[in-house]
Amino acid sequence: MATTATITLTSADIAGDPVNVSKTATCTKAGATTDLDQTTGLNRVHLRSTTNKVLLAANAEGNNLAAKVYIINKAEDPTLYVTITINAQTVGKLYGGDWMFFPWSQTDTAADIEVAATNWTSSTGDIPVEYALFHEDTDFLTNA
Amino acid sequence: MATTTAAISLSSDITDSNVSVSNTANLNTAGTTTGLNTMTSVTKVLSSTDDVDLITTGSVSTTHAYVYINNPSTDNTEFFHIKIGAAKGSSGYDAETIGSGTEPDEEIGRLYGGDWMFIPWDVDDDITIKPSVSTDMTVEYMVFS
Repeated sequence: MATTATITLTSADIAGDPVNVSKTATCTKAGATTDLDQTTGLNRVHLRSTTNKVLLAANAEGNNLAAKVYIINKAEDPTLYVTITINAQTVGKLYGGDWMFFPWSQTDTAADIEVAATNWTSSTGDIPVEYALFHEDTDFLTNA
Repeated sequence: MATTTAAISLSSDITDSNVSVSNTANLNTAGTTTGLNTMTSVTKVLSSTDDVDLITTGSVSTTHAYVYINNPSTDNTEFFHIKIGAAKGSSGYDAETIGSGTEPDEEIGRLYGGDWMFIPWDVDDDITIKPSVSTDMTVEYMVFS
């Protein structure tokens, strides 16, 4: 069982020469060539809270193990964003259409991944977010 | 303004029903449809296990950027700690243990050989890096802002 993630970054005009970067990672267990074997699958939530909500709860047993996280803001309005934090440390904002993919250490027992629909109002409508976790933890993570 | 896209193709057969995701994002300035116009592309060789700044807030003039980091090593056992916060230098990182209240602020994840990551960055704190070994390790990164 294999999980692969390919990124392609392209631009014809951000530099004097075209940019075209493509890289494929095969998601394996920490320090090994063995494939990751657990996943939450693809999930979808509709956010309407301007305060942080736990998207993925950290598990202390996840420390020193591999975990990969994919999150995308599916809002069609480019002004609507969700703020991504880990243990209250803001990482960045995903605007409508933006995605992120990153390894997750869970070195802190409080290293939850949280999201907030920071500029949501009752008139903007919910912000749909999809996410998936691929991991090797011995215990299944609890999703909030 | 420039047009820059970031596409991901994610596939997994861990579950009985496979996961297959493809999405493309246009890299725009915050909350607009105006393309970003600045790019930095760097390759560095690191030769110690110190926790050092990789991308500083001072190197970006906006409050919204996208960061791509790649570990091109073919050795699956070698990795980088990628963190947001002040660099710890040669001490203070490994001594911080779970539950001690002095954990590194905040390790995002460990980028093993062959892995890449792509995140939005709010440019509030530096992005730091700490190699797992002191032999030469190469890291590649790009910042779009």
